[in-house]
Amino acid sequence: MRWTIFRFLLSGTLLLGPTLVGRSGALETPCGGPLRVAIILPASRADQGWNQQGADSLESLKKKWCLTIEIAENQGYGDIKPVIRDLADKGFNLIIAHASGYQTTAPEVAAEKGVRVVTIENAKAVKPGLVSDIDTEAQGAAYLAGIAAGKVTRAGIVGIVVSAEPPTWNRMSAGFMEGLYSVRPDARLLYNVIGDAAYEDAAGGKRNVEAQIAAGADVIFGQGDGASFGMMSACSENKAKDGGKVWFIDVIGDKRNIDKKGILLTSVLFDYAPIYEQMFINIYIGTFGQEHVLNVANNGVRLMDFHPDVPQYVKDSVENARQGIVSGKIKVSNIPDSTGLKTFRARLFPR
Amino acid sequence: MGLLSFFDEAFFVVLFGTSLRASTPLLLAALGETYTERSGILNLGIEGIMLSGAFGGFVVALFTESILCGFITGVLIGLVLALITGFLTITLRVNQIVVGLGITIFGSGMTSFLFRILFGTRFPTLPVMATKMRIPLVADIPYFGEAIFNQHLVVYLALALIPTLHILLYWTNFGLKIRAVGENPVSADAAGVNVARVRHICLLLGGMLAGLGGAFLAIGDLSFFVSNMTLGRGFIAIAIVMLGKWNPYWVLLGAILFGVTQSLSSGLQVLGVDVRPEFILMLPYVAVIIALVFIARNTFLPSALGVPYRRGEG
Repeated sequence: MRWTIFRFLLSGTLLLGPTLVGRSGALETPCGGPLRVAIILPASRADQGWNQQGADSLESLKKKWCLTIEIAENQGYGDIKPVIRDLADKGFNLIIAHASGYQTTAPEVAAEKGVRVVTIENAKAVKPGLVSDIDTEAQGAAYLAGIAAGKVTRAGIVGIVVSAEPPTWNRMSAGFMEGLYSVRPDARLLYNVIGDAAYEDAAGGKRNVEAQIAAGADVIFGQGDGASFGMMSACSENKAKDGGKVWFIDVIGDKRNIDKKGILLTSVLFDYAPIYEQMFINIYIGTFGQEHVLNVANNGVRLMDFHPDVPQYVKDSVENARQGIVSGKIKVSNIPDSTGLKTFRARLFPR
Repeated sequence: MGLLSFFDEAFFVVLFGTSLRASTPLLLAALGETYTERSGILNLGIEGIMLSGAFGGFVVALFTESILCGFITGVLIGLVLALITGFLTITLRVNQIVVGLGITIFGSGMTSFLFRILFGTRFPTLPVMATKMRIPLVADIPYFGEAIFNQHLVVYLALALIPTLHILLYWTNFGLKIRAVGENPVSADAAGVNVARVRHICLLLGGMLAGLGGAFLAIGDLSFFVSNMTLGRGFIAIAIVMLGKWNPYWVLLGAILFGVTQSLSSGLQVLGVDVRPEFILMLPYVAVIIALVFIARNTFLPSALGVPYRRGEG
């Protein structure tokens, strides 16, 4: 009991600490020592997607938490053990292995070096004091994107293009399908996978979207990291069969600054900052090593503001559904595996 | 919303046109590598040269708002990197594999670094420019016309290079010298051929074409640059050269085979072919492996490929 009260008081102090630091400037670090946090990214931190979101979320907390940050980008999808070992030897308190492809190697090095790591989509690896995990359950926000797609499609043909089939992508694909089905059960759904881990294959993204547009799709839901730029390019350069624009729905980041043709309908945005903050608190109070979930209810995932051309009734439908998800009236399927996704797709949108 | 057929003309045109466009960087790089390998130099650095050409071409096209300047820059960057490769491998006789891989790693790291220096976390794109050229009459041929004859100028250039390079390699005295130094540099040298010069020229040609291929990828196919955007195309080009038995026409077939099967993998998924995507996605690679097994079984490598030459040591 005394320990619980102590932890409660300590948590309160920690939550107030950064605020005090920001206001008075008198304290240099909250609670004695700054954290040294590293994040390992598989690709460029300027991809306006998965990698940039992770890095930006961490950097947004730098001042508030007096962090020392190192961003190890472009590390690829291979063996990152040497990178983690190197960061551990440099004395980092926390290493975020920001890719589902790192989910097995990161816990191994954590055990070897005794350094705290964060994995993506590997809840089984969670270990008190050593390994925390982040599960992105973005299917709720993707469900909302599916509703928007169903409302704006003119042809009734909607495409999904993914750069691979990791759990996060699969969950969003399933959520999107379910949302689309809820408003357009008669729609035709096209589904393309660019490659096994084609996250950066921009040319492949463009090729697959062009094939879908040629088949009549006028709304594309693209999940690709660097490949998304190719998808957007295909939507910008091609017209739908009726001569109108091809809408693009992006994920993770906000690409409005490069949307010269006005084809970006919305985006499923991720925000890791609240979860990172929770982890810092957990480190200070000794409860690090938990599973964290990003979802619509905690606003970790949400839809970006719609394109100005989107009618109000579409926005209203989406907002109603969002409230339904938060209140629990709408249950969105959580399908992380590709086999389950295939069955699910065949059930909702049989050929 | 009837079921789409593979033979729907609009769909076919997009698929075939896309595959031709996607094949072009591969074709250019492979044609250049054909000459390089024929002269006895194995240039594993074309991946890095393509990437550097893509980056340089994109940046210059962006700042000058001229795609022509972008393409010229891509060619020049290829030329410079080939000069460095030539100095190291031909003049200093450093191991060709080590130099090639070094150039590739350099290209990958340097382009990502410079991109960050120049643009930070911004993501610049080129304005969409009208770069396609439709050739009247032939473009009206059903199915293939629009796909082949409504393409980017560089696609036509790549196609035109095939007979040109074939004639140069097989019908001219200079082509004979190239093949001679690739097969037996000692004999070629004895016959008065300047082995180093011929190899330098071939390497420069290969570098320029690889640089142009990279620039086309960034400027012609896409309109932006992404780190490591070539994704192994340089190495695939080397496989295609082997598949094509160092003959420009066969190299064209190899590049088209790869491009078509890649587009086919997109098309089959759109058509809803009921197999696992993994199976469809491996089609281009399976096709190349099968072709290598059946076509390239009797391949004879240029005898002096990868072997440095110095007079008196042959």
